Amino acid sequence: MTAAHAHAANDPRPATGARLVVDALEREGVSVVFGYPGGAIMPVYDALPGSKLTHILVRHEQAAAFAADAWARVTGEVGVCIATSGPGATNLVTGIANAFMDSVPMVAITGQTASHLLGTDAFQETDIFGVTLPIVKHSFIIRDAADIPTVFAEAFALARSGRPGPVLVDLPKDVAQASVPFPAAEPDRASVHPFRPDPETISAAEAMIAQAKKPVLYFGGGVPIAGAEEALRAFFQRTGIPAVATLKALGALPTWWPGYLGMLGMHGTRAANMAVDGCDLLICVGARFDDRATGRLDSFAPRAKVIHIDGDPAEISKLRHADLAMAGDIRAILDALDPDTVGIGDWRAECARNAVRWAMRYDAPGSGVYAPALLKAISEAAGDDFIAACDVGQHQMWVAQHCRFARPQAHLTSGGLGAMGYGVPAGFGAALADPSAKVFVVTGDGSIMMNIQELATIRRYRIPVKIVLLDNSQLGMVRQWQELFYAENFSEVDLSDNPDFAEVARSFGIEAFTLDRRADVPAAVERLMTTSGPILCHVRIDPRENVWPLVPPGKSNAEMMEP
Amino acid sequence: MTTRIEIDFAPAEGAILRLVGLIERRGFEVVAMDVPPMDRARSASMALSLRARDATRRIETLDAQIRRIHGVSDVRHRAAPAMEAAS
Ligand SMILES: Cc1ncc(C[n+]2csc(CCOP(=O)(O)OP(=O)(O)O)c2C)c(N)n1
Repeated sequence: MTAAHAHAANDPRPATGARLVVDALEREGVSVVFGYPGGAIMPVYDALPGSKLTHILVRHEQAAAFAADAWARVTGEVGVCIATSGPGATNLVTGIANAFMDSVPMVAITGQTASHLLGTDAFQETDIFGVTLPIVKHSFIIRDAADIPTVFAEAFALARSGRPGPVLVDLPKDVAQASVPFPAAEPDRASVHPFRPDPETISAAEAMIAQAKKPVLYFGGGVPIAGAEEALRAFFQRTGIPAVATLKALGALPTWWPGYLGMLGMHGTRAANMAVDGCDLLICVGARFDDRATGRLDSFAPRAKVIHIDGDPAEISKLRHADLAMAGDIRAILDALDPDTVGIGDWRAECARNAVRWAMRYDAPGSGVYAPALLKAISEAAGDDFIAACDVGQHQMWVAQHCRFARPQAHLTSGGLGAMGYGVPAGFGAALADPSAKVFVVTGDGSIMMNIQELATIRRYRIPVKIVLLDNSQLGMVRQWQELFYAENFSEVDLSDNPDFAEVARSFGIEAFTLDRRADVPAAVERLMTTSGPILCHVRIDPRENVWPLVPPGKSNAEMMEP
Repeated sequence: MTTRIEIDFAPAEGAILRLVGLIERRGFEVVAMDVPPMDRARSASMALSLRARDATRRIETLDAQIRRIHGVSDVRHRAAPAMEAAS
């Protein structure tokens, strides 16, 4: 009798399909799962006690998916969320779409109606396999409990391999309840072949870079996904090529390094957008020419040749023709590139001058709290361990523009999907993933209401996230667009009847205070920094404050608007 | 212009839905489709005639997007006259 069999014989938990699910998660090294129980997933919940898994009970399944997403971004491992069939599964959908858009490795496990009832409109039956087809990397319905070990091994391998993404595993209740031999045999795992860049293509790329007078390094979320930040930093330092980041890549280069020009695109810095506009070679690394980054595509980097380096061959020339392309391990490609860049001194000096000339300013008039300055101060006080989990809106863009980031995945944001409600669950997912990090949730008065119930989760597990709620009593980003592009026709953006958020937080058992004077900012930052448990800082700001600069929709990045 | 595309894939549950759904979502109209009887144990294949819904859609990009679907083993495409839909 093997040790595993001896253990199985002593273990009172029944040997069922659900038990195989828990066993498969343990084999994958999963330590934390986020979920919410219900009828069809009850066998799995029955198998959880006594396992090595820590289950975090959220208060809405969307939060389980968002928290698993942030967990995955911070750890680099696969995030796991669990829900029941029907409404539980459909509540996961936004979170699954988010992971798909931002290429986050995730396994979503959904309970399902018993097999013989499938297709009969049974109670809480939803075809979640069909619903999620466009937003998963892959999906499975398990028809036979004996397949559980191999399906889970495959699901995890798929979620994390190549371009990562969410994988759905739908588990009919009868399959979860079926008796199975236990423990299951170790499933086969595919071996991974190391990638080696083609030396001829590397030489051709080096020649193109050496010929360029005005190169720009444009890097995106593919860099942190590939764990390629060290390779990026080394390449940047070796070559001195001015660099710009997408929203999802913030922190891959420390934001204060000379030669780093900041975020490009709609709310990017003028220095970044003008460098891209003027460059003669764009070296795109792990980015995908997203419309928020490029503005009008046909005027993006209009004079530049393009070298495109990406982990996903399907991104090459999808939106912008690549003159030279390398698809594969970004790390290996960057490590192999060692071009001669001695001739770019004038260009570097020009970019550096522009960075100073167009640096962000913090001398806002008045005595109210100026959100950009507050966020900058918080990130500087928190230091290299700072992580901001953002919601969506003006506050999200201020974080991207003004915070200091020292590490990749320090700006956790719903980049591709732009889903309000991400911030609070992402914040506690990140704090659980890295207890040494200083995790701040930066949210708006609109966004926080989309998952405010999760204050209960934070309280239950005493997760030490600091919530900075920027309250402009408006759906600020929409209000800004209505002001600028809809002739000030303000329609359904007023939130002046918001509750007292500090009171709300306290009613959940979370320490809270309100900040509305600029003079009180240093004390507020100090309090946030020194409080050991969760705390919410409710910041009242001017409702008319806008995010600047801004590239108007349909315009080129060179046509930025300023106040 | 119509393009003929042939896809070899593992005949798993939902595989055809997944492939046709991707093609439609990525901006191509399916004008004809031929799916020979599938042998569950082996690789399956299907052939489709596609028309891009606008001029920005590249068949090479679609080809790469289909290739990254789990279970797809090969994709071939070439410009072709529209074939008849399978009866
Ligand atoms: C789930 C969802 N619904 C709607 C939107 C559209 N939207 C984008 S920003 C925004 C306003 C956000 O308001 P708030 O959270 O208060 O942030 P602010 O812009 O005021 O900083 C809205 C409604 C969205 N991104 N996500």
